[in-house]
Amino acid sequence: MIRLFAVTFLASLLVGPASGQQANPASPAPSNPGGMPAGTREQAPGVPAPHQTNDADRIFIHAAAIGGLAEVDAAKLAAKKGGRRVQEFAQRMIHDHAAANDRLSALATAESIPLPDRLDDEHSTMRDKLEQASGTQFDRTYIEGQITDHQKTAQLLEYEIGSGENADLKKLASDILPTVLDHLRMAQMINSESSQAAERAPR
Amino acid sequence: MPKALKLTFTLVGAAVLGMAALADSLPPDATYRPLPTLPLGQVRANDEAEKPLVAQRQQTLLQQRYDLSDRPIPDVMMSGLRKPVQGGVRVKLPAGVTWDSLADMSPDEIRQRGLLPAGFRPLPHVKQATGGQVFPNNEIDEIGRQEQRNLRRFDVDFDFPDRFTPEFPPPIFLTSHPELGDVSHGQLLTIKNYYQLMVGLITPVQMEGLRLLLTPFPQEEFNQTEDRKSADQSLGVTCLDCHANFHTNAAFHLTPDVRPQAARFRLDTVSLRGLFNQQLHGSKRSLRSVEDFTQFEQRTAYFNGDHVSAQRKGVHLPDRFDQVPMMAQMQNMIDFPPAPKLDPTGHLDPTKATAQELAGEQVFLGKGHCAQCHVPQTSFLDNNMHDLKLERFYDIGQTENGLVMLPDGPIKTFTLRGIKDSPPYMHDGRLLTLADTVEFFNLVLGLKLTQDEKDALVAYMLTL
Repeated sequence: MIRLFAVTFLASLLVGPASGQQANPASPAPSNPGGMPAGTREQAPGVPAPHQTNDADRIFIHAAAIGGLAEVDAAKLAAKKGGRRVQEFAQRMIHDHAAANDRLSALATAESIPLPDRLDDEHSTMRDKLEQASGTQFDRTYIEGQITDHQKTAQLLEYEIGSGENADLKKLASDILPTVLDHLRMAQMINSESSQAAERAPR
Repeated sequence: MPKALKLTFTLVGAAVLGMAALADSLPPDATYRPLPTLPLGQVRANDEAEKPLVAQRQQTLLQQRYDLSDRPIPDVMMSGLRKPVQGGVRVKLPAGVTWDSLADMSPDEIRQRGLLPAGFRPLPHVKQATGGQVFPNNEIDEIGRQEQRNLRRFDVDFDFPDRFTPEFPPPIFLTSHPELGDVSHGQLLTIKNYYQLMVGLITPVQMEGLRLLLTPFPQEEFNQTEDRKSADQSLGVTCLDCHANFHTNAAFHLTPDVRPQAARFRLDTVSLRGLFNQQLHGSKRSLRSVEDFTQFEQRTAYFNGDHVSAQRKGVHLPDRFDQVPMMAQMQNMIDFPPAPKLDPTGHLDPTKATAQELAGEQVFLGKGHCAQCHVPQTSFLDNNMHDLKLERFYDIGQTENGLVMLPDGPIKTFTLRGIKDSPPYMHDGRLLTLADTVEFFNLVLGLKLTQDEKDALVAYMLTL
């Protein structure tokens, strides 16, 4: 009973007001009706009814879910095996991505979109590499992977913000993009600090 | 199989697997313009129904950022004497700070406390997801009257109030006839009147260049396909539809140089006055000649960085050895408006300038660091691109009206000659007055100017 209530409550939070009808510039912006899939239900002309997704939305959910899964998975390893800076970074990743993953999976459930439950080939390969690496090599591999992943995630979120149809998913993308760019900046900083340290170290 | 060959195969196999293991890339429409999926009638009905809401969102944003009231500087008109120059700082301050208290804070503190005035941040397009060229009403009306060509979009209207755009039509000054002054006769140059206005003033080569600059060719939003945003099938747009009378009418677009769509920043049309001394063209592309720019913009349906989509709508490929030089040579004849207080080296003549203007010049050359890029002797240009690194002052990645605000990176230096004639300012038009630009650079360059110095700088820029 409590569970049912929680689900209903969550769903009501997710539906929210019809974002397309607000004049608030911070809410998801209208998309180009030229790109709206044929047969889209509309709550007002040009404004898709809630709980619909276009190709961009579905590509976004899939890629973001895999990315989020891999992120937490790698960070748990890094929190054990990494150096001090890397461990701190990994803790932040676990915290931030867990929250984003929860929001994403709640939305996917609300939109009845199945989420991937295991890593893709790219991230499995990375996982293998990380398991084999240790010490400085581990830190370097992990942080380089993090830089690539966060670059890709930022582009994915920007793509969804511009091309998605589902207002809740677009809102999620625009809410988490600043954090993803902040993570990218942190990873780049750790990377440049460690390469400078390596240059200073006696050979 | 020989061992070495087997090893090679194994390595190649590993490399292929390595490639295959890469995650899927973003879909093609992250870079390429998607084909429309719905019939034009339905798209138009949707766009028209959404139009008031789209306008209201942008007006809400402008009201949050700027004081849009009518406060002209007394007795200061644009060069054609057709429009007063608006004054005062129009960017609104966040609660609890003053311009001086803000200038005392470090970039980090401003970023962490979220205190960068919203009007200093990148300015969104009215409808970012669609983007494209948007013309002000005066241009739309005059082209409609003279040519019966429709430049009005059914999805969006121009956003800034008319008082923050250049005078219309702007005067035209020719380097080949400085003695004549404005040769526009108060008219907007169009394909209908150009010959009559210019015969006897320009050469046959320039005349042919001018004709091409005034001939409409298909553009992303103005063409014959279902992907257009004009109600009727359109012949397209001309170069001078935005660069009205070789100046600017503040028509705007999105940068051609960035993808995906949400990250493309807005572009305000630049004036073509003084093009003869400008060696970089395109705010980010650093094209090295006006010939390159002129040719290329015809290739991509004007300014979308997309030759693929342009191909479908009809591209114009002007001949590089015959037509492009004529278009370029015409553009290179356009002069700045007269600046009677400047001497031939670009400095104020002390016998003509006021004490405040002279004080402003000293700030410009010294404490303000303005002249480091806006070099007086070279038409207030340095023919370079610079990165102001505004991202030191705000958290990047925030979305406003569909625009993801990201670092702009290097942008070319724009001239300051005749600057009072070309509001709004900066590459995206985010600043409305010269006083706004002074506060912007005071903060971004950490200048700590006094109020007297700021006022003097504005007075000086009005003389340029």
